Amino acid sequence: MSKLFHIRPKSCIIKGDIHNIVCHPKVMSMKKQKYWYKLDNAGKIFPAVSQDERSNVFRLSFYLDETIDSTILEEAVNKVLPRFETFAVQLKNGLFWNYFASNTKHFEVEIEPPQVCKYFKAYKNHGYLFKVYYLDNKVTLETFHAISDGTGAMHFLRSIVFNYYRIRGFKLDHEGKILSEKPYSKKESEDNFVSNYDKAKRRNLKEEKAYHIEGERFSNHWVLMLKARVDTKSLLTLVKTKYQCTVTQFVTAMLAHAIYKESVDFTGNKKPLKIFIPVNLRPYFDSVTLRNFSLYIKGTYDAKRTDWTFENMLELTKEQFKDQLDKDKLQSRISSLVGFEKNVFIRVLPLVLKTVAFKIGYNILGESISSCSISNLGVVDLPQGLESKILDADFVNAGYGIAMTLISLKSHTNIIFSSPLKDLSIMNHMVQFLVSEGLDVTLDTNYKEGYDEIL
Amino acid sequence: MKYCKTCHVHYDTTLEHCMLCNGELESDGYVQETYKFSECEKRKASRFFHRLFIFLNIVSILITLYIDYSDGLPLTWSLVVSITNLYAVVMFVLLAVPTMWTSKLTKSVIVTIGMVILIGLAIRDHQWALDYVLPFAIMSNILLITLLIFINRKKWFDHFSSLIIITFLGLVPGLLNLLNVTEVTWPSVACFSYALVTLLGIIFLPSKASREEFRRRFHV
Repeated sequence: MSKLFHIRPKSCIIKGDIHNIVCHPKVMSMKKQKYWYKLDNAGKIFPAVSQDERSNVFRLSFYLDETIDSTILEEAVNKVLPRFETFAVQLKNGLFWNYFASNTKHFEVEIEPPQVCKYFKAYKNHGYLFKVYYLDNKVTLETFHAISDGTGAMHFLRSIVFNYYRIRGFKLDHEGKILSEKPYSKKESEDNFVSNYDKAKRRNLKEEKAYHIEGERFSNHWVLMLKARVDTKSLLTLVKTKYQCTVTQFVTAMLAHAIYKESVDFTGNKKPLKIFIPVNLRPYFDSVTLRNFSLYIKGTYDAKRTDWTFENMLELTKEQFKDQLDKDKLQSRISSLVGFEKNVFIRVLPLVLKTVAFKIGYNILGESISSCSISNLGVVDLPQGLESKILDADFVNAGYGIAMTLISLKSHTNIIFSSPLKDLSIMNHMVQFLVSEGLDVTLDTNYKEGYDEIL
Repeated sequence: MKYCKTCHVHYDTTLEHCMLCNGELESDGYVQETYKFSECEKRKASRFFHRLFIFLNIVSILITLYIDYSDGLPLTWSLVVSITNLYAVVMFVLLAVPTMWTSKLTKSVIVTIGMVILIGLAIRDHQWALDYVLPFAIMSNILLITLLIFINRKKWFDHFSSLIIITFLGLVPGLLNLLNVTEVTWPSVACFSYALVTLLGIIFLPSKASREEFRRRFHV
């Protein structure tokens, strides 16, 4: 347990305006207080298509070594918010496109609701497109996907928690890993989809429809979360030595095999199983942006085949990953996506009509091209002083169907399944598979006995 | 920590039975498990009354239209009732959607003008709606938003889209007058002039910040 070095300073927040906060002078002097952004390519569609059953919100949580003081947490959020220009925004309507305008209103933290990745209306959240919740020793950041992806949100959450402890009086060294303690760079707010657009590399993107897992849903848009905690070293040993693959390839094949085994209508289906896996594009394009900069690659498995085994699914997954994780191919897809929004007919279409078109298009195509998704956020890199205070981390991406997420902290990895469906057979198959591979699995869930009657 | 001897998994939650096999969990008794989420409660069907309100209005429209139609004469009073029912539903939806109240007000004014003109058409006397209601409603809305902007100049851009929409709409009475659709000239001309002056004011008077706001709102 770290020692308390300083007495908590008196609150420096004047309610109503986050720019009244006394912040790091080096940081603030570099930044404009009024700014605006166009929405990035990935974020453009989300405001039009998000609703209760399709929130497009993802969750990151840290479990701290103490019960959260909500007043200090709110102070910490408001302290770091001016530094995170891409989070301190509100969504506005233009004539042709939405845009983000600076938001200087005071941010309020809330107690965590029972529903994971709950859809929220920005208007009721002082215009902000993210939520910060607290519950006992847990801090949760839920982010609307239009403003950022997992990597950007993780930077924000780390900074909030780091400043939370600082305000509490702990002396912590950021070791260059906490963004709020570093000077602001314009590169953090850059739209890297546009900056990597190459007209010559555009190609026609055509997607066939995917198999969908159907079943009875929980009521009130409730999403079941099942967290399987395994030892990272054991998991890495298994995937590297026995299967010669990466963790993401392993879990993709595992999910595909579970669906093949447990879904009665999959074999012989006309539509293939398509698992979407978002790839962080930052390392490929030397980016430090906090805005969306990820692109899906996919694992596709033919439903007509009847000889699938875990091993041949894994071999196919490896081939598909190798083929798709190519910088030129990724840039080609970026260019195609950006090329679509640069189309003159799309651009001059008024926002009202665009919104209707997005809604119709998304209902016809958006969900039909993907069966489920897997997102691996990797290892949470924290400064030593902070790492000892964070006991666990969650990463949940509750989508329309089954979603799987992975996050590693210290010596363990959390494989989190989320599903709006009441059928647990696919999750059961995966857990049994991990156990059969010799991993020690510890489960946690947001399910409680008696929920059957109310959900 | 609890353990399921059938599935060979540990549980770090308050469940008594395994989620996967429904078998009873064994507890080691050393670590007290906690439920790390907010308790879920049964939610009431809050939208029932919303749906009931819309349903009753639709029933009212159908019944009145049927009664009026069964007389064998052209539809008259039933149209007024139906338009009012429809207006009630639209206003209900409009007020239920959470937006800024200036935006709600502008939309309400536009819907009300539409309703008044439709009633005018239904009773075969729409001139009063076009000659007086339309220009005066628009002028008062422009005046209100302009005052709001002057009172709270820091947040003027929050009301910008409402002002732009209502100002463009303010040009309509003048055009109707040019096309001889209106009979009384002065309210339409006054509304047109007021809207035009406001529009020119928006374009030429403001600072660099408001030109920037234009750029944001109209970026293609």
